[in-house]
Parts: sequence; C-alpha cells; structure tokens
Amino acid sequence: MSIPQQLARVRTAGCTAGTGSAAGSAPLTEDTFVARPLAERAELALREGPLTYCLATGLVIRWAHPAVFHVGPAGTMGDDAALRVCGTLPRVPGARGATVLVAAQGPGGPVLFPVDPARTSVETGANLAGEPRDTLHLSDYQVPAELARPVTPELLSEFELRAALSRAALMAGAAQRCVQLTVAHTATRIQFGRPLGHFQAVKQEEARLIEESALVGAAVEAAGEALERLGAEARFEVAAAKAQASASVAEIARIAHQLHGAIGFTELSELRLATTRLWSWRDEDGDEAYWSARLGRAALTQRPEQLWSLLTGAN
Amino acid sequence: MTALQSVQTLELRREVRRFLSEERARGTVLGRPDSWLTGWHPEFSRRLAERGWVGMALPKEYGGGGLGFLARVVVIEELLAAGAPVSAHWVADRQAAPSILNHGSEEQKKRFLPAIAEGRCFFSIGMSEEQAGSDLASVQTRAERVAGGWRLTGTKKWTGGAHCNDYAIVLARTSEHEDRHQGLSQFIVDLRAPGVRVEPIRLLTGEHTFNYFHLDGVEVPDGMLLGKEGDGWAQVTGELAFERSGPERYLSTFPLLVAVVRELSDKAATADQQVRLGALMARLYAVRQLSLGVAAALDEGRPADVQAALVKDLGTRLEGELVHEVRRILPVAADAGATPGTYPELLALALLHTPAYTLRGGTNEILRGIITRAVEHKEQQS
Repeated sequence: MSIPQQLARVRTAGCTAGTGSAAGSAPLTEDTFVARPLAERAELALREGPLTYCLATGLVIRWAHPAVFHVGPAGTMGDDAALRVCGTLPRVPGARGATVLVAAQGPGGPVLFPVDPARTSVETGANLAGEPRDTLHLSDYQVPAELARPVTPELLSEFELRAALSRAALMAGAAQRCVQLTVAHTATRIQFGRPLGHFQAVKQEEARLIEESALVGAAVEAAGEALERLGAEARFEVAAAKAQASASVAEIARIAHQLHGAIGFTELSELRLATTRLWSWRDEDGDEAYWSARLGRAALTQRPEQLWSLLTGAN
Repeated sequence: MTALQSVQTLELRREVRRFLSEERARGTVLGRPDSWLTGWHPEFSRRLAERGWVGMALPKEYGGGGLGFLARVVVIEELLAAGAPVSAHWVADRQAAPSILNHGSEEQKKRFLPAIAEGRCFFSIGMSEEQAGSDLASVQTRAERVAGGWRLTGTKKWTGGAHCNDYAIVLARTSEHEDRHQGLSQFIVDLRAPGVRVEPIRLLTGEHTFNYFHLDGVEVPDGMLLGKEGDGWAQVTGELAFERSGPERYLSTFPLLVAVVRELSDKAATADQQVRLGALMARLYAVRQLSLGVAAALDEGRPADVQAALVKDLGTRLEGELVHEVRRILPVAADAGATPGTYPELLALALLHTPAYTLRGGTNEILRGIITRAVEHKEQQS
C-alpha cells in the first residue's frame, strides 16, 4: 500500500478513535505506519506482538562490550553492536502492551533497537483523551548485538517524519469528526423554533470550522504524497503538515464546542472523544512551535528569493 | 498534486523563474504586494503573452496554449509570488477568456480569444452596482432591445481598470421576472463606445484602480450578447470558481514575507521570530494545497464552487493576517513615503490594502453561507 493510501486509513482511524467502531480499534497507527515499516527497513527481526515507538533524546547509551584497544575518532568502539542503555522513554503510546522501537543517537551514531517493557520499570499514564502514554525507566538495559541496528541519519529522519505525519493524519481525522458532529448537531438542535444552523452567527462559525478542518486535511494529504515521492527529503512538507495540524487545533476545538453548547462539555456527547484527542495529539510527535521553528530556520538559511521555492518544493 | 511534479510542469516553472529574474534585472518585477490589482504594465503583459503565458488554458485554435488550469496556476503563482505587474491582462486572462470560451459565439471567440492570448485586449468586469454588491441579482442596469442590438443604461461600480482596458463584460437586466435570477444577460461592451463614461473612485491610498462605469444608452450590437439572453445568472455564477480559488487569493501579500525574510537574514533571528515565520509558512503551504485541489478539479471538469469559496475565505484571511504577523515578527512603523521597495514602504502598501482582501471576489461572510449550506446538505445525505 502506498503512503497516501495508508494515511487515508490512519485518518479514518483518527475520525473514529474512541467510538468503539472497528476502524477505531484497528492495530495501532504507531505500529503500522511508523514502527513496523522502519524495523523492516532496518532488518530488525522482532518477536511477535504489537509495536510502538519512541524517538528518544537524553538517553545514556554505551557499548556493552567496549573495545579498549580500538579508540577511533569518535571515541571507543564496541567489540560488537550490543548496547547498555540508561534513561527514560517518556510518554510512549501504548507501551504497557507493546514492544517499543527506540530510535536514538548511540555511541557510534544513530541506532534503532527494541525495548521490552517487561524488563523496564513502567510508569503507566494517559494523555488528555485517556489513551495510554507510559513512561519507561531503563536502568542498565541490555540490548543484544543482533537487536542493536546502526542506521543512517536519513532513516532516523524518516522515522521522525513518519511519526509526525501519522499523528497529523490522525488529527485530520479527528478534525473531520468535529465537523461531522457539529453539523449534525446544528442541523437538529432546535432553539427559538428553528435549527441552530439557520442562525447567521452559527453559519459563520461553522464555515470556519469546516475550512480549518479542510486545511489540515489538504496539508496532510499533500505531505503524504511528498513523503511517498521524496522519503526523508520531504521534511518541509511534513513539517508544514504537522505544524498546521497542531496550530489548527485551538480553533477547531473552540468552534466545535461552542456550537455544541453545554452538551459537548459532558460525557453525554461524543465530541470529547475528538477534541481531547486533538488537544493531546497536537503536542505529540512535535508541537507547532517545534515544527514551525524548523520551517522558519529553513527559510532564514536560504536566500530570501528562495522562500517561494521552499514552499513549492521545486527549484 | 502529482501533476504538478511532472517534468513538463517543473520545466515550465523553471522557465518562468528565468524570465522573472531577467525582468527583475530590467526593473519591471519589483516584489510589490497586491500586484495583480495595481501593477498595470501592458508591455510586460505582452512579453508574457509572447512566451505563451496569457490565455494558456485556451484551446490552440483560438490562439491559446491548449494547456490545463494547473499549468496556468504554475505561471500565475510564480508571477504573484514575485510581485510582478500583471493587472493589465489579469481579468481578461482569468475571467473574460474562459467566459467567452464557454458561452461566446464562434465569432466572439475568433475575435477576442486570440487577441487576449496575444496580450493586446484587456477586459474589465461590470457586475457590481450601487445596490448590487454581494446581492448581485439585484442589478439595475437595463438592456432594451433596439434595432440590430441592445441599448444599455445604468451605472456599474467598483469596475477595476475601466479607465484603461478595452472591453467590459456587463451584467444587465433584459427582462422582468418574479425570480430575480431570471432575465439577466451578459454583454461585451466596448469601453470606448459612445455613451460610456468612466469616473474614478480613489482607494483610501489615493490609488486609482476602481471606477464608476456609467452606461448612458450605450448601443451594443446583437453579436455582443454573451451567451444566451436570460442566462446571465447561471453564466456568472459558473465563473466564480475561477475567480475565487486562484493563487491571487492567498499570495497578494507574499512579497511582504519575502521582504521580512530579507531583513531578518542579515541578523540573528530569535527563536520567536523563527517560530512565527514558520507558522506563516505552514499555513501558506496548506492553503496552497487546497487551492491546487480546486485547479485540479476544474481541470477534470468537476464542480468546485464550494471548495473555491473555502479557499477564498481561508486564503484572503491569511493575506491580512500575514501583514499583522510580519509586523509582529519585525516591528517597524509602516511608512508609505519611504523609499519604494524598502520594508517599511512594502508594509504600508500591504497594510493599506488589507480591507480589500476579504471583500473582493465575494465578501467572505457571504461565502461562508455557501460553505455551510453545502456541507450540511452533504452530511444529511451520508
């Protein structure tokens, strides 16, 4: 399946998440779109069972078997690829029931390795939508040589792009859900003898909601095509998609709730399933400030005339 | 947008960029905001036409390029991003040409389309009136039958370029009906015909682009009725997707963003400046993708008026927000009297034009009604 096709599925999962429908309970996006394809690319043979991922920073990673007499320009080398890892993997999606594929900077460069949560100290937690976000504490965690895979910086970069884009696609789905629920509500809720949707003030806000949701969808779709075509080179497109998805959340959730009235603020409405996810997901896999800063830096490191080339992706 | 990545399209884009850098060197392309409204430069329009970049979507038999809307979009987005002076041929290329192609007689097509594609024939649009702004169906300009043609009487308002263009497409009432949307017709009016009087309406900057366009019994021959008598409303609304969704609905202030990047690139930008700049880039990227989606739909003959309304509201709001955000990124007192092309001068120009972005091409508040109605309809059916 192509990346755009996979992303369309991710988006559907984001739209139905939490509703108990089949699409909403499909295998984790973290597994199918991010961890598994990258593990396969790195030729990591992993045991059966669901996968999740963590792009880790701040871990202390050392060679398990340092080669004392082989000190190269990058420092000590290992006799083999085996690693010892100390540190924390914060707020990993669904880590309590999955193997975590970790991407990090190892002693010899970028490295991928799996972490079995059973061999760590698991601090269970949740995001605002109640989705499991578990923090794993690794204390001298041993990664055997056959599971520690050195990878190229490009692969690491693609890892991050896939993570961000799948999150953005989930957000596009949740935004679409906000539109569906809001339109259904304003079409049926009668006040002053007519449906809410007949009030001009309501129409104005509803249109803005529809637009903002369409904007996120278009950015995600285009970035998916770019990722399919360019791989790790699609960094501008993916950054723009996640930056915009995260930046649009405040407006989307605000309008959806405002037009739902009090019921949207309660468990009586399904709206919370979408909006609490949007409020969580905008922070996950890089928030809008993180990705916008990258776009801004990219713009400022080129000649000003190149700004347009950057936006169009054609030089 | 895979069509946009085709070899031909990428080559076309490079060609336009080479042309633009030559034109920059000769001083015609100056990175001015809102250049499609105020940059009137007939020689530049003709140089574009020589390269086949006017009337690109017209069939070859009428002097066009026989290319799709996407190819046209590539060229015009390059021109607008560069702030090139394209207003002379703008309406002819965007609106009059497709309108004549779709509704015109064979004689009209042969007469006007090749001339438009050569950059020799410029058009205005005579739709709005004093009492017919957003509510276009209430136009009061009348066309009465006379021997061999029609006599037009009334006053059009906000007619851009009527003082320098060659023709205008005028919407007028040809008969009375209970349903106001019936009995309207479109005419091609020679702007130099007897009875045409053009009176300037100056913008708040003092610039002259808009006019009152008085028709004091202007005689229009039968051959200049555009389309069918009484079909004016359908013809006009069918054109709106062209008018509403193009790059001019989100790129009008892009040259100001280039200007602020130029200012910042000499200094060490702060983290906050980088983030704010990046956020604008993200939104521009996203709106552009939506707009390209409309061009692709038009290429495939799919209806796109709702999508177009959506792009117009998002894009034109962004044009204005960009101005205020750029000012926040690098505060400076806007100064219309500063040296042309400097950051304070460009900021002043873009700022003074902000009221127009969300008004022209259909007031955004009205467009939002179209969007809501269509989506409600779709959701109820699903």
